[in-house]
Amino acid sequence: MKLRILLADDHEIVRRGLRALLEKHEGWEVCGEASDGREAVEKALQLNPDVVIVDIGMPNLNGLDTTRQLLQHDPHFKVIVLTITDSDQVIREALDAGARGFVLKSDAARDLVSAVEALQNKRMFFTPRVNDLVLAGFLEKGQTFSRNEAPKLPTLTAREREITQLLAEGNSSKEVASLLNLSTKTVETHRSNIMRKLSFHSIRDLVVYAIKNNLIQIEMPPLPPKTPTGPTAA
Amino acid sequence: MTIRILLVDDHPIVRQGLKTLLEGHSGWEVIGEAADGAEAVEKAKDLSPDVMVLDVTMPRMNGLEACRLLRQECPGLEILFVTQHDSPQMMREALEAGARGYVVKSNAARDLLAAVDAVSQHRVFTALNGRNVAELR
Repeated sequence: MKLRILLADDHEIVRRGLRALLEKHEGWEVCGEASDGREAVEKALQLNPDVVIVDIGMPNLNGLDTTRQLLQHDPHFKVIVLTITDSDQVIREALDAGARGFVLKSDAARDLVSAVEALQNKRMFFTPRVNDLVLAGFLEKGQTFSRNEAPKLPTLTAREREITQLLAEGNSSKEVASLLNLSTKTVETHRSNIMRKLSFHSIRDLVVYAIKNNLIQIEMPPLPPKTPTGPTAA
Repeated sequence: MTIRILLVDDHPIVRQGLKTLLEGHSGWEVIGEAADGAEAVEKAKDLSPDVMVLDVTMPRMNGLEACRLLRQECPGLEILFVTQHDSPQMMREALEAGARGYVVKSNAARDLLAAVDAVSQHRVFTALNGRNVAELR
């Protein structure tokens, strides 16, 4: 029986590349694709894939919250997280969310097949950096992976995180309500609770929070070319 | 006549996705790939492609720098940016650097074929997400 894989990434070009890579492997098939986290959850419930591959930086519902929602629905889902960064915080959140594989997008052509094979064999797959951090955390017998962990802010609920992401992506309360099938009033109440919990006063604070906590990801423009700096005359 | 294309992006998965899309078009051939701007300049000189599909943000040398160099080194080459940057300012920079086309990566599956077709005929093609698609002669 074929191993069935669901792909979730907001870029169709990336999904095409992933599909081409995975379908070269005998006995695997990509049974579905999703372009955001919400669609990924819907399709996973509908298609019941063996492995779900989710990009972290997706609109509407990011990959970490997608992983959480999938595992809340069914703890048997096996999720591989694709990410552009393996910072301590992203690694910690991916592990907390319940991902069983963690692959850098830049290394996906090399690592993704190994990651799917690992999950197929009921093992986990992480980059060497994740393994180092997990080992360090284990050796310290602590709950944290980093000594320089930022102080924790009050915890948002899953719904509040979803709404924070959508607001930080520039949606109005009305648009968020429409996306989540809620009333605008309910979204406004969640929004007030979020701002109160986090002691924020502006949407700008919320956007910064969403970026810092990987609810949304941004790509920085390239730096201008370095200009040679010679010695300056005194 | 076959249009010979060089693909430049630091993510192999993205190159693979672009390649499957482009090679589905008869008469187009992906003749090479590069993972950064410096490699793109070298391969363009070696392979003389007709069109280069070029990312902006890459290690070693970014796409804008590569584009400026290539304008001098390979004047016949048409350059099409495919980038994450959905920004009029970045698009202007790309065109000023000498590119003939600009497509946002999230829409590449929709816009890329039309864009390669346009730039291969020396026409400008630009498309930003959710905004105008302009094809100028």
